[in-house]
Amino acid sequence: MGKDSMERAYSRTRILVILGIILVLIMADHLRSPTFAFNSGHGNVETALNQRDETTCAPCGAPCPSTRD
Amino acid sequence: MADSAVFRPGLQQPGWQVDRFIVSTALVGLALLGGLIWLETAPFMVALFVIGTVLGMALYHGAFGFTAGWRNLVVKKRGAGMRAQLLLFGVTSLIMVPMLHSGQAGLVGAVAPVGTSLVVGSFLFGLGMQLGGGCGSGTLFTLGAGNIRMAVTLVFFIAGAVLGSIHLPWWLDQPGFDPVPLVNTFGVSGAILVQFVGLGLIAWWVNRIERNAHGNVEKGELLWKGQAHGVFRTLLSGRWPFTWAILILAAGNALTLAIGGAPWSITFAFNVWGAKALEVVGVNMSQFEFWTWDYPAMALKDSVLTNIPSVMNFGLLLGAMLAAGLANRFNEASRNRPEGRQFLAAVVGGLLLGYGARLGFGCNIGALFSGIASASLHAWVWFACAFVGSLIGIRLRPWFRLPN
Repeated sequence: MGKDSMERAYSRTRILVILGIILVLIMADHLRSPTFAFNSGHGNVETALNQRDETTCAPCGAPCPSTRD
Repeated sequence: MADSAVFRPGLQQPGWQVDRFIVSTALVGLALLGGLIWLETAPFMVALFVIGTVLGMALYHGAFGFTAGWRNLVVKKRGAGMRAQLLLFGVTSLIMVPMLHSGQAGLVGAVAPVGTSLVVGSFLFGLGMQLGGGCGSGTLFTLGAGNIRMAVTLVFFIAGAVLGSIHLPWWLDQPGFDPVPLVNTFGVSGAILVQFVGLGLIAWWVNRIERNAHGNVEKGELLWKGQAHGVFRTLLSGRWPFTWAILILAAGNALTLAIGGAPWSITFAFNVWGAKALEVVGVNMSQFEFWTWDYPAMALKDSVLTNIPSVMNFGLLLGAMLAAGLANRFNEASRNRPEGRQFLAAVVGGLLLGYGARLGFGCNIGALFSGIASASLHAWVWFACAFVGSLIGIRLRPWFRLPN
């Protein structure tokens, strides 16, 4: 009884659709990105593959309070 | 024959069922996304994707929830979850503080300014943890395991994070000072020692609460063996003893630092996803100061597949899904759909989590776990303020029809 209700607690189709939508969104974002352009042979584009900025004051890239006006 | 929960010949053991559909779907998802990352970015991003997957499995199988651990201490006066977190912070700082100061070029710790923004942000995050039902990692791994309520929390987590990014410059202009790496004051060994003393004092306080309430201290965080099954089965289907999860999470964060150059973080990706969504509907994000800073601007412009937190989050979601499938418990937490005040709690909690994470320079992973592992003062301030916020959140939970 408990097992049966758990088996029906989700829809396979819904899960596949949700994951499919996520994949499409990732692809759509990637296809219009500088990295994709670079991979497609378009030179002279700046990609963000190594995005760390060691000069910032926080992991999100925020500047230091002491540098603000 | 059951569709979604059948015996898998290769894994068949008495009483062990896996959800073959969920396991297969998660594996296909991992292969597709992993292949795409391999083809379009660089091998080190694939490695980080795999680490994210393993971390997702560890969080799920270890039931390593920061939110529940804090609530158990406050409500049930049981401290095993809290002590497991303290142990995790101690072990990881023992590995990562020397790594960060080994002289190796390109490694950056999770350090951040200490000030109004941090205090307000971490307080709001702690409040949101209890209303939203999870923290940064908790929201992701429970969503990956099929918890529908967490989808609501995540959507508003993202919305709050974007709002926080728009407001962060104003908050940074309020009183505060630059990051305080403890290593600068105490040296590497001294910083580790000072942090161990701090963690030890908190552990002593946790034990005192538990002993006063129950007369004993359960040492669940020190168990090495699974309670119900053998090692192999426990490894694949859970539940892991805390020690296993601690070792995997510590190793995972250290490897993230070694491979990606910075410790594990989660919530910056939510900022990027939300800002990208707004740009799709025509909002020019570069009108906001945050999105003109180099790192956010680059992350917004380029593919999510080149953004380390995003790639690790994708792995974490699929890793938790795989783990839930192996445990045959996918979607188990969603039998009761959030309605009324519970839905409202997910909305309010998500907004507070997102806004708080941005102002507080990260979540329980990026600011607290990675911050202590980097011996940064801001992580300790974050811990204290988030815990106070969490105390209020726990008191508010009954009004939102959330069980304590």
